[in-house]
Amino acid sequence: MMKTLLKQFIKSGIMLFLCFYMTGAYAQRIAVTGKVTDEQGITLPGVGVKLEGTTTHTTVTDGNGNYSFTNLPADSYSLSFTYIGFAKTMQQLTVRDGENSVINVSLKEESNTLNEVVVVGYGTQKKVNLTGSISTVNAEDIENRPVTSSSQALQGVQGLYVNQAGGQPGRDNATIRVRGIGTLNNNNPLVLVDGIEYALSDVNPNDIETISVLKDAASAAIYGNRAANGVVLVTTKSGKQGRSKIDYNTYIGSQQVTYLPNLITNSVQYMELKNKALANESRLPEYSQTAIDEFKTGADASIYPNTNWFDHVYKDALIQQHNLRLSGGSEKNTYSLSMGYLDQDGVLIGSDAKKYSLRLNIKSSLTEKLSVGANLSGFYNDFNEGVDGTDRLTHMILRALPIHSAYLPDGRYGSTFLVTPGHNVFRNPIAIATEGDNNTKSQNYLANVFLEYKLPFDIRYKINGAINKDDALASRFVPDVFVYNPKTGVQQSRVAFLNPRSAQRINTSSTDLTFFNTLNWEDTLAEKHNITALVGFSREAFNDSDFIAYREGFASNDLTEIDAGSINPRVSGTSTRSTLMSYFGRLNYVLNNRYLFEANLRYDGSSRFAKDNRWGFFPSVSAGWRMSEEPFMQNIKWLDNLKLRASWGQLGNQQIGLFRYVNTINLGQDYSFGKDIASGAAVLASNDPNITWETTTISNLGIDADIFAGKLNFTGDVFIKRTDDILRAVRLPSQVGSLNGPIQNIGSVENRGYELGLSYRDQINKFKYNVGFSLTKIRNEVVELNRQTIFNGRFITQEGSPIEAYYIYEAEGIFQSLEEVKNHAFQTNNTAPGDIKYKDVDGNNIINGDDRQIRGGTIPEYTYSMNFGFNYSGFDIGGFFQGVQNIDTYPAEHPAFPFYNGAGATKTWLTNSWTPENMSAGLPRVTTSVGTPNYSNSTFWLKDASYLRLKNLQLGYTFPKEWINRAKIDQVRVFVNAQNLLTFSKMKDFDPEKDITKGTYYEYPSTKMFTAGLNFTF
Amino acid sequence: MLTSTKNMKKILYVILIGIIMTGCSDELLELQPNDRFTEDTFWKTQEHVQLGINACYQTLRQPGLYGGGVPLILLESVSPNSYNYTNSLGVRAITESNHNPSTAGIISNLWSSCYAGIGRTNTLLDRIEPIPMDAALKERIKGEAKFLRALFYFTLVNNYGGVPLILNEPNVAAHSLLPRNTKTQVITQVLKDLAEASAGTVLPLTYTAGNIGRATRGAALSLKTRVLLYNENWQEAATTAKQVMALNTYSLFANYRNLFLPDNENNNEVVFDVQFKSPEFRHNFDIILQRFNTAAPVQNLVDDYYMSDGLPITSSPLYDPLNPYKNRDPRFYQTIGYVGGKFNGQVVTASTFPQTGYTFKKFTVYEDDVVKQLVEDNQSDINFILIRYPDVLLMYAEAQNEFSGPDASVYNAVNLVRDRAGIPALSAGLSKEQIRQQIRHERRIEFAGEALYYYDVKRWKIADKVLTGPVLNSRRQTIGTRLFDPSRDYLWPIPIIEIEDNPNLEQNPGYK
Repeated sequence: MMKTLLKQFIKSGIMLFLCFYMTGAYAQRIAVTGKVTDEQGITLPGVGVKLEGTTTHTTVTDGNGNYSFTNLPADSYSLSFTYIGFAKTMQQLTVRDGENSVINVSLKEESNTLNEVVVVGYGTQKKVNLTGSISTVNAEDIENRPVTSSSQALQGVQGLYVNQAGGQPGRDNATIRVRGIGTLNNNNPLVLVDGIEYALSDVNPNDIETISVLKDAASAAIYGNRAANGVVLVTTKSGKQGRSKIDYNTYIGSQQVTYLPNLITNSVQYMELKNKALANESRLPEYSQTAIDEFKTGADASIYPNTNWFDHVYKDALIQQHNLRLSGGSEKNTYSLSMGYLDQDGVLIGSDAKKYSLRLNIKSSLTEKLSVGANLSGFYNDFNEGVDGTDRLTHMILRALPIHSAYLPDGRYGSTFLVTPGHNVFRNPIAIATEGDNNTKSQNYLANVFLEYKLPFDIRYKINGAINKDDALASRFVPDVFVYNPKTGVQQSRVAFLNPRSAQRINTSSTDLTFFNTLNWEDTLAEKHNITALVGFSREAFNDSDFIAYREGFASNDLTEIDAGSINPRVSGTSTRSTLMSYFGRLNYVLNNRYLFEANLRYDGSSRFAKDNRWGFFPSVSAGWRMSEEPFMQNIKWLDNLKLRASWGQLGNQQIGLFRYVNTINLGQDYSFGKDIASGAAVLASNDPNITWETTTISNLGIDADIFAGKLNFTGDVFIKRTDDILRAVRLPSQVGSLNGPIQNIGSVENRGYELGLSYRDQINKFKYNVGFSLTKIRNEVVELNRQTIFNGRFITQEGSPIEAYYIYEAEGIFQSLEEVKNHAFQTNNTAPGDIKYKDVDGNNIINGDDRQIRGGTIPEYTYSMNFGFNYSGFDIGGFFQGVQNIDTYPAEHPAFPFYNGAGATKTWLTNSWTPENMSAGLPRVTTSVGTPNYSNSTFWLKDASYLRLKNLQLGYTFPKEWINRAKIDQVRVFVNAQNLLTFSKMKDFDPEKDITKGTYYEYPSTKMFTAGLNFTF
Repeated sequence: MLTSTKNMKKILYVILIGIIMTGCSDELLELQPNDRFTEDTFWKTQEHVQLGINACYQTLRQPGLYGGGVPLILLESVSPNSYNYTNSLGVRAITESNHNPSTAGIISNLWSSCYAGIGRTNTLLDRIEPIPMDAALKERIKGEAKFLRALFYFTLVNNYGGVPLILNEPNVAAHSLLPRNTKTQVITQVLKDLAEASAGTVLPLTYTAGNIGRATRGAALSLKTRVLLYNENWQEAATTAKQVMALNTYSLFANYRNLFLPDNENNNEVVFDVQFKSPEFRHNFDIILQRFNTAAPVQNLVDDYYMSDGLPITSSPLYDPLNPYKNRDPRFYQTIGYVGGKFNGQVVTASTFPQTGYTFKKFTVYEDDVVKQLVEDNQSDINFILIRYPDVLLMYAEAQNEFSGPDASVYNAVNLVRDRAGIPALSAGLSKEQIRQQIRHERRIEFAGEALYYYDVKRWKIADKVLTGPVLNSRRQTIGTRLFDPSRDYLWPIPIIEIEDNPNLEQNPGYK
C-alpha cells in the first residue's frame, strides 16, 4: 500500500515537473538533478544515468543515489537509468531556459525474463529471440553454494548430467554430459571461457557471471568441429559502469564422508567367518583356534586389535574460501579484479589442496569506434595426495583387516603376527596415506586480448587472440617405512609402496593458442526486419609436452631431491601438437518481432585427419515463432510469451588420438641385452587413412511459455541426436599381430529424449517464493554398427542396445539343494547348494559365454532436479535436489565381494549369507571370492545407482539496507549451507554418485559439506 | 584530429596483420609427428632394422609370455610341482579344470602376446630384404627373427594346438578371418624357421657386450631339439641335441643354486633367456616366491627328491620320516625353502610360507645365509632362463633312449647332470623303461620351478594321472584338489574374445 502511494507520488511529481518546465522559455543554462531509489525507497548508488539530447551526457549516482547534470542547453532530452538487476527506465523531458529539473525515479527490480540476454557463440542474443536450445546458469544460481570447482555449478542444468565423483581436494572428477552419450569416444563438451577453450576446473566459480550450455545443433553449430558433445560457454564477471564496488565473499565449513562400506571390524568375527568361508570350499582354516582364542582373551589392543581402519584414515575436514572482487568503471573504462583462495583439507588423511586464483578483466573505449580489452587470469593449484595415488590408497584402506594393528604402543607402524594368505604383505594404509610426498603444483595463465572496431555501415570487427598456458609439476618422494610385528616388535617388512625409495618429477606443459576474428552487423530495416550477420575465421594450435625424471638409491628419507638419489635413473619425455582451422558464419533474421530465423555454418579443418578428409562442413538452420506477439493472441492476458522453436543442424567430433590416419611405428618397444638397453620400434595399431569426422545431427523442437505475468515459466524440448560415422577403434583378432584395431567411422548412435522445465515464482506480501523442476529423459541406442559387436570386459556395444551396456549372466536365485544343482545346467565342478544359479538362456544345459544377456546401462535414462527458494523480509531459504534414474554400476573386488584376495568382508555376510539353516538368505554361501563361480559377472552384483539427493540447502539472512547503508555498506548477507545433506538410493556401501563405469570402490569418497559464510558488498 | 588519424592508421595495421595471419593456407593443418615414425619414414636404414628386431624381443616381456610373474605362477603351478592359491591370472581354475573360453588371464594373454611377436617378426622379415645394410648383419637379424617366430608359434601350439599360421606383415583384410591351421602345419613351419636360423653361420655362437641375450646358433638348435622332442621325432631330436653338444659352447655351471643368481646371469650354461633390467624392465619373481607364495611347491614334489644316495625316499635307508629333510638330493636344499631350513639369512618357520610350507629359491635374489632387504612388487630383474644346457643333455638322453635304447651316451648325458648336482651316477644296466623313468624324474627335479614340467607331463601323456588328486602341504594336509579332464585339458580353449572377433576359429574339443 505504502509502495503504491509512493509510486503514485513520484509519478505525479514527475508529471508536475514536466508540465512546469515545458512552459518556461529562458535562454539560460539549466541543470537536471535527482535521486534514484528502488521501489522501497532505498537509495541506489552507482546507477548509470544517461542524458541524450543534441549532445549526450552520462554520469552515475553518488553514494546517496543523487545525480546531477549542470550547465546544459535547453533542449528535449531523453533520460535513461540503468542498473544491474533493475529494469532500464526512460524519461522524456523538454527543458526550457532557466528551468532546472529535478527528476527522482524509483527503479523497478527486473523480474521478467523477456529482456534477458543470453550468451551465444561469438556474441549475445535476447532470450526471446533464441531459436536454439540453451540452458543458462547465472551468478545468483551458484553464489554461496560451497562449490569447490566450476563443474559443480552446472549441476541441475536442464539437459545436463553432471556426475561429481568423490570429494578429493585439488582434483575435479566431474563428468559432464550434454544430452546423453553420443559417441564411443570422448564425450566431454567443449568448454569455452570468454570464447577461449579452457579447463572448467581452472575457473574460480566466484568469477562466473553466466554459463550458457548450447545443447542443440542450432546453438552449437557455430563451433562445428568440436561441438558434437555440446558447448559450455562461461562468461566471467566484468566491471560495470558506475561507482567502484568491493565484494567480499567467504565461507568456512566442514566436510564429512557420505558413505563407507560397513566392514567387519571385530577380529574374532572376521577370523571365524573367513575360516567358515574356507570350510565351504573344503579348504583348511587360515586362523587356528589358538589364534582366535588369543584374540578373544588378549587384552593388549595393539597386539589383538579390532581395527576400524576408517576411523584412522577418514576424518571431518575443514574447508574455507575467500573471494575479493574490486570492480567498477567509467564511461570509457571498466575493470574487474578478483582474487580467490580456497583451502580444502581432505576427508582422507594426507590429502589437501590450496587453490589461488586471480582474474583481471578490463575494457576500454579508446575512441568512439575503437575499444580494447583483456581478460587475464592466473590459477594456481597446489595439492597433496597419498604417495601411491588415491586409487591405490583407497584400495589398500579397504583391504586392511581388523586384525592388523594401526600402530605399536611406541608409535611405530603396526602389522599382525598372524599370516593371511593373499595378504602376506601388509601395506599399512596410514603409512601409504601420510608418509612420503606426492604433491602437484599446477599453474595456469590465460591471456585473452581483444579489440573491437566499428567499421562503416555499423559493421563491428572483433579480433581476439589468446594464449592458454598450463604447467604442472608433480613431485613424488617414496620413502622407506617399515611395519612391525605387534607381538614381537620385530621389523616385518617395508611398507610396499609402488616404488622403492625414489624421487620422481613429472612436468607436463600445454600451450594452446587461439586466434579468431569476426565481423558483425546488425540493423533494423523498415522497423520490422531485424537482421544480424556474423562471419569469422579462427585457428587454434594445441601443444603438449611432458618430461619425467626418476631416480632410486636414496640414503635416507630426509633428502628428497632427485640429486640425492644415485642409481637407476630413468628419463622420458615427448611432445605433441595438433591444429584446427575454421570459417564460420551466422545469419539471424527477425520479422515483426515474431518470426525468427537463424542459419549457421562452419567449415572446419583438423590436423587429426588425412589431407583429403580434413575438412568438414557443419550447417544448421532454425526458426522460431513468437505466437504471443500475434495480434490474435494479444487479448490473452495471462499469456506473456509463447514461442515455438525448431532446429536442425550438424556438428562434428574429432576427439581421437593424433596421427590415427597413418600407420606409425612407435618407439619405446625396448629390450635389454646384458643390461644394456636397446631401442625398439614397432607398429602398435593398425590405422585407416580414410577416417574423417564423426557427424552429429540434432533435430530439436521446443516451446517456451511465460504465463501469469512471468510467474510461471515453461520450457520443453524434444530432440533426436544422431551421431553417424562414429570413430571407434575396431577390435581385431589377435592373430593380426595383436595390433590395436584401426579407428574407423563405423556406426551410428542415437539419443532420443525430451527435456521439461517448469518454474513458478510469486510473492504474497513480503513472502517471495519460487519453485522449479526440470527433467531430462534420454534413450541411448546404437542404431548401426556394421553388424559388429564390441566386447569390452563385462560391457557390450551392439546394434539395438545402449552404448556399453552390461553383458552378464542373469542370476536366477540361489541353489537350495544338491538336487537342484544337478538338475540345472552345468555351471562348474564345484557348484554347490548356496551358490548363485545362472539362467541357461540358450537351453544347452551348460552355462557359458552364450548365456550372457544385456542387462542395465551406464547412462541414466532420467536426470531430474528440483529447486526451491523462499524469501521473507531478509530471510531466504534455497535448496536444490538432483536425481538420476535407471543407471547401474558394477562394483567388483573388495569389499563388494567377501574375502577378495586376502581382504575382509562386510557385516552383512555375518547374518545374510546362505546356510542350510538360513536358506532364505539374500546372499550366497560365504566363500572367498576365488573359491566359487558366484563371482562371475552376473546381475546378482549389478547395483542400481539411481539416486535422489538434496544437493544443496541454504539458509541466509540479508541485513536491511537501512541499517547497513549508514556504514557505507551496500549489502551484507550471512548464510549457512549444507551440501549432499540427504541421499535416497538403493546403494548402501558406497556413494551412488561415483565413477559409474569403474568396476570397484577404489576411489575417493564423496563428501557432505556444512558451511557458514558471509557476503559483503561495499 | 591528428591523434585520431594516427590511431586510425594503427588500427588499419592491426586489421591488416589480422588478415595476413588468417591466410587461408592448409599448411597449418599439415603436421608431422615428432615422437614416432610413419610408414613413409621407417624401414629405410640399418638402424630401422635394428629397432625392428629389438621390438621383436620386447614381446618376450609381454604379460602372457615372460613379463610379470607369469612363467613361475602359471607354468609351474599348473604342473604337479606347485600350487597357486589366489587364482592369479586364472591359473587355479586350470588346475581345477574349471577354466573355459572366458577365463581371463593367462589363457587370453598368452595367445595375444605370441601373436604380437609373430606380427613383429613377420613385418621385419617382409621388410628387410631391400634395405641397404651390412649383409652379415642382415642375415643374422633374419635368423634372430626366425628363431623368435618359431618360439612364439611353438608356444602357441603347446597350449592351444593348431593355430592360424600367418607368415606375412599383419594385414587386416587378409588375416582377420583366417581359420586355424593344423598342428602339423605349424610345427613344420617352426622347424623350417629353426633350420634356417641354425644353418651355417647365420647366427653366431656367442655375442659380445651390448648384444648378449640375442638368439645364437646354439639357441636355435636347442629350441629345434625341444620342438622335435615334443613331437616325438626322437632320432632327429637326438641328432640335433648332439649338434648343440658338439658346438662346445656350453658347459655346466659349477654350483646349481648360484647359476640362478643375478651375479651369474648369462653364464656358460645359459642357452637362451629372457632379459630384464632395473628399473625399466622388471618383474615380480622375488615377491611372488618369497612373500606372496603364489607358486608354492607342494609335498608331492618334495617327496620326489631323491636321497643323497641317489635313491628315492621309498627305498633309501637314509630316509627318516621324522626328519624328512635330512640327507636329500643337494638340489632340494638349493631349490626349496622348507621349515627348519634357512632362507634369506633366517630360519624358515611354519608361517613363513603359509600356502604349503615351501617356496622356490630359484630365481630369487635371496641366499641362505645372507639377510637382504626384501624385494617388493615389480622390483626384480633377474633374467628368466628358457633353455639351459642340462636341458639339452637330458633331451638328448631322452630322445636317444627312445630311439635306440639306453646306450653309453644316454648314461653319459644323464650322469653329467647328476654329477653336477652332487648325487651318484645312474646304476648301470637299466632297462629302456627304467632309464625313461629316471630321465623323467631327473627332468622334474633338475628343472623344478622352471616352467617346463607342465609340458613334459602333457607330452608324456601322464597328465591325467599326475594332475588329479589332492594337493598336500608340508604337513600332508589337503589344501586343494586338482582335476584334469583328459578329453579336453591337454589343450587350452581358444580365448572367447578371439572367437568373438574371428568366428572362423574353431574351438578346441570339450570347451563350450
